[in-house]
Amino acid sequence: MMINKIFQKIQKADIRKFRFWIQLFLFVIFVYGGYVAIDVGREIPVFSCGYDREAGGVCYFMSLQHQLARPWERLFSGASLGVLSAFGVFILWFIVFNKAWCGYACPLGTMQDWITALRKRLGIPYSTYSEESFKSLKKIKYIFLLIVLLFPLLIGAGLLDPEWRGAFCKMCPGRLITPMFVGDFSQWSIDFSSKTAIFLTTFGIAFTVVFFVGSFIKKRFFCFFCPMSAMHYIFSPFALLKLKKDGEKCTKCGDCYRVCDMQIWDIADDVKSRDILRDDCIFCLKCVAACPEEDALQVDIVKWAIFKSTKGGFAKRMGFEDETE
Amino acid sequence: MKQNEQPEKATRRVRKVEDPKARHQRHEAMEALKMLDALRHDFSKPLSSMDYFYELFEKVYCRREKLHSAKPMVGTLCIQIPYEIIYAMDAVPVRLCNGFHTNEQSGGEFMPAKSCSLVKATLGMLKQEDIPGVDKLDYLVHPTTCDQKTKSISMVEEIGYDVYHMEFPRVKESEESREYWRRTIRKFTKDLSKDLGRKINRRSLKSAIQKVGKAQLAYHRLNELRKLKSVPILGKDIFLITNAFFFDDIERWTEMTLAVCSEAEARVKEGTSAAGKRSPRILYTGSPPIFPNLKLPYMIEQADGVIVADESCSANRLFNDMVSVDEWFMYDMVDAVADRYLKGCTCPIFTKNDDRKRRLKELIESYNVDGVVYQSFAGCQVYEMEQRSIQQQMEALGIPMLYVETDYSPGQGGQLSTRIEAFMESLKVKNRRKQEG
Ligand code: SF4
Ligand code: SF4
Ligand code: SF4
Ligand code: SF4
Ligand code: SF4
Repeated sequence: MMINKIFQKIQKADIRKFRFWIQLFLFVIFVYGGYVAIDVGREIPVFSCGYDREAGGVCYFMSLQHQLARPWERLFSGASLGVLSAFGVFILWFIVFNKAWCGYACPLGTMQDWITALRKRLGIPYSTYSEESFKSLKKIKYIFLLIVLLFPLLIGAGLLDPEWRGAFCKMCPGRLITPMFVGDFSQWSIDFSSKTAIFLTTFGIAFTVVFFVGSFIKKRFFCFFCPMSAMHYIFSPFALLKLKKDGEKCTKCGDCYRVCDMQIWDIADDVKSRDILRDDCIFCLKCVAACPEEDALQVDIVKWAIFKSTKGGFAKRMGFEDETE
Repeated sequence: MKQNEQPEKATRRVRKVEDPKARHQRHEAMEALKMLDALRHDFSKPLSSMDYFYELFEKVYCRREKLHSAKPMVGTLCIQIPYEIIYAMDAVPVRLCNGFHTNEQSGGEFMPAKSCSLVKATLGMLKQEDIPGVDKLDYLVHPTTCDQKTKSISMVEEIGYDVYHMEFPRVKESEESREYWRRTIRKFTKDLSKDLGRKINRRSLKSAIQKVGKAQLAYHRLNELRKLKSVPILGKDIFLITNAFFFDDIERWTEMTLAVCSEAEARVKEGTSAAGKRSPRILYTGSPPIFPNLKLPYMIEQADGVIVADESCSANRLFNDMVSVDEWFMYDMVDAVADRYLKGCTCPIFTKNDDRKRRLKELIESYNVDGVVYQSFAGCQVYEMEQRSIQQQMEALGIPMLYVETDYSPGQGGQLSTRIEAFMESLKVKNRRKQEG
């Protein structure tokens, strides 16, 4: 009975507020955690940047790129047990929360949401990609993922110059932006030590500028290109937290699609798949909150539904419900 | 029978040669009253909260009282014209789709013999300048939905109306159509505001969206009760309620619909049902029953059926899909309103009919339907054409379906009701067998 009541309450929850506070809390942990000696490890499956000297937990890509760049004899020997165990920790973190890491925990993601909030405050319309650009641009994140995974391996094999070490980090806006929150602006510079370094660091600065402009006009602009998101997608079928859809209940009204920051078309138009998590998804649950059909969309942990689309919840969030009810 | 109250002089003139307009109105009133009486008195256990609706129709069609004053009236010729935008300008949308045989006859001159009764009747009504509940129209919006509606625009203009042509896509899956329709609605919003000289802003649009949302929710709440094993309200009442939405004041409508909900909910608690224990549960689909052409729902329920659900644009489709807004600014709200009308719509005018099939299946399951009655107005190509695939789907689902072609003429009565009675009987037999076997 009690559990039922709580469940009903959750279904009517204002997901925006809930999300805002979680994001703020985790932002503080990840960006300022170091001040109070919080350290949740270096295998975090989101962009909580390791260049922030006070980080309370570090983006897995930093150590991953470092570890994969070992000479091959070492990489493929017993000495690499550490590499495997780090990977295991990453997977564990990820498998529990799935892409909800992006919607709720990633500092870089949260920053984009704050920029969106600023735009909204100014009453400026957002823009969207056309279907065609969407389809071609979404591939970019897989190219970045190749840079993260392949470049270090090539360095280890001696096929690529070590100047390319940590190449993605040098290009990543997280490296420039996150440290600013603890007053460190030193990343905003071009490294003139070599041609490669000039290229990578210039790219980083340019990408960061694009990050700011882009996320001002397009919701979650950067996430669309994020290699971490691509990496997540490989493992998300095994995750415990799931985004599910019941196509029979769906009217294809498109309400979910229109609130989706990532313009995921399938969320409304695919009425066949049960697992509706797509590679671009940030698991923000805005779609579930915006769906007016009972049980059409739902979030499961293992087998148990924790949040579902309900008519009542929809009506409450839209302000359709009378105060008396 | 109640007579139109008319001044002394007019009555005297009537005796010589009746003014055609007065004659038309007299016929209309008779037609309306006949249906209202039948709906009201031929069924046992009426809901007293329904009185408001019976009286409303009498007021509008028999006594010719006007409902709205001082606000601009926007006539709409389809459910695709967004209510939210019109309400946001403090104007009143009046849906003109008409159900009178009297009007069907007088509109007949515009159309080929075998064409949609609804379109003919609407043309007839416009020709007579006889708009229900309204003094005059300030604006008339006509969408390019089915062929007959689209082509009738030029006839409405011929009669002498200024018509706003609202372009509507007939493929709804593509991104292009979404964008096209959004553009149509953005343009409509601007044009309407300019032509009526009325402003629309964030606040007024938000409150209009919420007003319509509340009305929708009231309807949904009522519908929940129709899922129950003993249904507390008959389909004929539901059609009357949804038809009242065409012209009634929206807030009063919502309040009165909620009153019906409360009474029906109380009945559920008492355990009283509006239908019999063995009444077959019917899903109605097809061309829209519009007052006073409620003969099909009337016949079904006189033959001991109970309409528990419907898929038509005079009821379910009017209320089904709701607006969802991400950012409460004009730029997002107008698009959100546009999306509501296109994407979830199960109208037969679109290329594909998968969504309609899915909707029917869902309704059959959640309302525990025994049989389907599919009405197509004679001459409505799109509904006639979809019949085949719906029939096949029903066969696959094992749900019997009765297909009837109708128009507004009362002459059809006897033969039609025999078919319906036979269908209800066969459903009952089937149910009994299922219970025994
Ligand atoms: S620079 Fe980017 S990829 Fe590298 S640790 Fe920071 S956030 Fe992660
Ligand atoms: S996709 Fe966005 S939220 Fe997720 S890790 Fe990348 S930047 Fe962070
Ligand atoms: S909001 Fe719900 S019903 Fe509408 S398209 Fe999305 S999942 Fe389907
Ligand atoms: S599909 Fe849903 S959870 Fe995923 S990004 Fe879009 S709105 Fe968020
Ligand atoms: S019943 Fe058919 S022809 Fe008539 S308006 Fe509707 S879709 Fe058009």
